[in-house]
Amino acid sequence: MAYIRKRNRKIFLIFMMPAVLVLFGTTIYPMLYAGYLSFRSYDLAKLFVPRVYVGWANYREILSSSEFLHTLIVTFKLMAMTLSVQLVLGVGIALLVTQRLPGMGVARTLLLIPMMISPVIVGLVWLFLYFPELGYLNYFLSFLGLGPYAWITSTDWALWAIAIADIWQWTPFVMMGTAAALTNLSPEPFEAAKLDGNSPFDVFWRVTLPQIRPVLISLMFLRAIDAFKIYDIIFVLTKGGPGDTTEVLSMFIYRQSFTFWRMGVGAAASFVSLVIIVVLITLFFKSLNRDPHQA
Amino acid sequence: MNRPNRRQAVLVYLLLAVVLIVFLTPIYIIASSSVKPTPIMFQKPPAMVFTPTFEHYTQLFATRPFAKFMLNSLIAALGSTVFSLTFGSLAAYAISRIRHKRMNDVAFWILSMRMFPPIAVVVPYYIIFKASGLLDTPLALIIIYSTANIPLTVWLMKGFFDEVPRALEEAAAIDGYGLLQIFWYVTLPLAAPGLAVSAVFCFIFSWNEFIFALMLTGSNAQTVTVAVMSFWSSDAVQWGRIMAGSFIILIPGVIFVLTCQRWLVRGLTMGSVK
Repeated sequence: MAYIRKRNRKIFLIFMMPAVLVLFGTTIYPMLYAGYLSFRSYDLAKLFVPRVYVGWANYREILSSSEFLHTLIVTFKLMAMTLSVQLVLGVGIALLVTQRLPGMGVARTLLLIPMMISPVIVGLVWLFLYFPELGYLNYFLSFLGLGPYAWITSTDWALWAIAIADIWQWTPFVMMGTAAALTNLSPEPFEAAKLDGNSPFDVFWRVTLPQIRPVLISLMFLRAIDAFKIYDIIFVLTKGGPGDTTEVLSMFIYRQSFTFWRMGVGAAASFVSLVIIVVLITLFFKSLNRDPHQA
Repeated sequence: MNRPNRRQAVLVYLLLAVVLIVFLTPIYIIASSSVKPTPIMFQKPPAMVFTPTFEHYTQLFATRPFAKFMLNSLIAALGSTVFSLTFGSLAAYAISRIRHKRMNDVAFWILSMRMFPPIAVVVPYYIIFKASGLLDTPLALIIIYSTANIPLTVWLMKGFFDEVPRALEEAAAIDGYGLLQIFWYVTLPLAAPGLAVSAVFCFIFSWNEFIFALMLTGSNAQTVTVAVMSFWSSDAVQWGRIMAGSFIILIPGVIFVLTCQRWLVRGLTMGSVK
């Protein structure tokens, strides 16, 4: 192999070039362009007119506006809501489907379906369920003595309406990752813990959880990265409303850029979001470089 | 873990039944509503037995050029898949074979490219495509989807290439094969399952995508996801057509889950779970 490697180092680099160049052109370049735009006053009506340099004005505007800060708070609130429920439910369901009983494989497979559905379709089917007056969700909940709730039209429930749709789609992801981690665990510590007379709950809390913790942390970072980008479901369900109750960062960028055509301001907000996502991505990769003996 | 006893087993099955009902009901609703006559669409209790009607599907294709939108989606998805597999697997092969301490950083950099928020780059894309006349063409979507699909392909294929025994490549090299020949005749066929998995992932991602298709296409290159959404924006919501369109859109993903679910872990968790 050393023989192949030495002779072909340059050819390997040539193999890599097309992908790297395409990614540079399609990702890094637009990002730099967004950075450039964020220092300009931009008006789409004057597409080819030289843009005026406005310094940090766009950044000053968004960072001092309560509207922008509000969208950041909503974004992180939604993230906290979806991640916490997905973690608890996902681990819980993973513990069920990893039991050594017949039929568990089928159940696991069926539960993966929501993940592969287009987010727009997820939004639309939940819109159908939430629909004022007609939707089935309030009807189902009435059997449990709950509701009726004005899911997408009330400021109390709109954010939960979005969270529930996201939880429905992505709890299977946490379940799938956790179930895979649970199956990889070696059985010895469990037997030792059982012999010591620990209850199943103690075994889970003291033996299982510490072992799968690194995997859970990585899964949560992946979910956080996705939750930060959430857009499609909100676009379908509430479009940021009622009022600005569900206006997340992505909605803010969209409206500044394509409703008000203030692309400079939209680009500045985009750049703030890029900084936040870079932090999340870095934390995710850090979480992967864990001690291999622990995982 | 040892086998649960009878009582525990009953409890597990009961809880699991509740979970399955909750997670599968929305899918059942899409499927059943797509063939439900409009008058009983919201009937309570929900009509479980009814004569299925295909009027929503007929309407879907009659009132909009839905077949054309399907073709658009297909072109964008297949185009991006071919493009991503070609470039992605070449890069993955190099990353898998070059021994250098910075190689991990390169792999992570490529992977991170798929994690950026689409909305943050949609403004530059809009301007670039408008200036170059690519707005509202399938090519624009192929380019954009590849930015997410190339990293995914690199990531998946690197794992498959790592598993190909080096001895086979060395034997081929001794027989006088060049690197490209080794790659094409020895390594790639052995990593064929990886190509299939990557292809399906790329296809489904592109087929399901919505934001870019919404903002960068008009009547010419519109895709199915945007078309289905447009039945909502009219003054009367056409639920039957929305559900019929939704059902058509979700078919590829469901087939994928049912046939190759074991690859989902690898494709979606980005190495969090080995």
